[in-house]
Amino acid sequence: MTNPAEVARALLTAAREGPAVASCTVMGASDGVDVALGAKMLVYADRLLGDLGGGPLEAAVVEFARDAIPRHLVQTCAFTPAGEFVEGRRAIEAADAIVEILVEVIEPAATLLVVGGGHVGLAVGQLGAMLGMEVAIIDDREDYANEERFPYEARVICGDFAEELERFPITANTYIVLVSRGHKVDELALRTVAERNAGYVGMIGSKRRTRTVLQHLAEEGVDKDELDKVFTPIGLDIGAETPEEIAVSVLGEIILVRRGGGAQPMSEYGRLLATTRR
Amino acid sequence: MPHDEVFEAMSTAFEGGAPVALATVAQTLGSTPRKTGAKMLVREDGTFVGTIGGGCGEAEVWQEAMDALEDGEARIVTVDLTEPVDGEDKICGGIMRIFVERLEA
Repeated sequence: MTNPAEVARALLTAAREGPAVASCTVMGASDGVDVALGAKMLVYADRLLGDLGGGPLEAAVVEFARDAIPRHLVQTCAFTPAGEFVEGRRAIEAADAIVEILVEVIEPAATLLVVGGGHVGLAVGQLGAMLGMEVAIIDDREDYANEERFPYEARVICGDFAEELERFPITANTYIVLVSRGHKVDELALRTVAERNAGYVGMIGSKRRTRTVLQHLAEEGVDKDELDKVFTPIGLDIGAETPEEIAVSVLGEIILVRRGGGAQPMSEYGRLLATTRR
Repeated sequence: MPHDEVFEAMSTAFEGGAPVALATVAQTLGSTPRKTGAKMLVREDGTFVGTIGGGCGEAEVWQEAMDALEDGEARIVTVDLTEPVDGEDKICGGIMRIFVERLEA
């Protein structure tokens, strides 16, 4: 059996440095099912630490947990001892035996990389910091990239965009917002980040401008599928006007990408349901 | 997203060879103050970092965390916030199941 101390240390490493891990803990089990409350298995993209006693249950949890990692999932799920995923309260009550597993993706705080320290970049960074993201802001102008300008916790990088972006570590948990002073810089920035599998890349600009940028990059040979993933024009359609409102729209989109959701007023769901039922 | 303070406190405790109790909101039903995944870390001296929602529920979880530090057993605490409003607490109206475990490196 894996040493619990090893598991505890691995959790800590995942939370502070990554890579992300799906921590799977037995929350409960029907009488007669041979698993211990609190038993824990850590599922990484490519390996396991600890176990849930093997068999079909463990195999099902591993499969579910691997899928949970890119979704940043935190959820208690029910499985049968035979490894069947059971969803919904009625199905759970109807099952002969159930094992409840808390599946929790543990990973370092998401990084928000803001390219451009202007009014919009300033507001986007501020909101990101408020949401608990690690914020980094890049600009090549000292006036827009200095510690005094950002009255919140942020790593401010002043330097050449291409050079600094090449150097910046980008993971699936990095969210990149391109809001520089002009589409030339945005284009240059997008060229350096487009193919690096960030969690999100969004670029500000009108439909026409951004289409031109994407076209240029496609002609230069940047992967078309990666360019298709870019969120541009950026943000949710909430009629944002001011830099702060644009920040809400952009971070709203990032939360949507991270957590999933319908991006509608919740009050609309009842109304929509009523319409479809009619 | 911001679990940093909890994990930083865990790291410090581990470096000093001390165990911690970690309480994690594992499941919520209805309206609850914190969502699934929220964490509170309790040290042996009773001090804690992070919150799973404050109020009476948190005191109950804290006590269970202290007990878990003592006996090493994992446990689940159900915090019921659906009771009628008679004071200032418990006005959220939901139920939280909180997993409490002792961790030690």
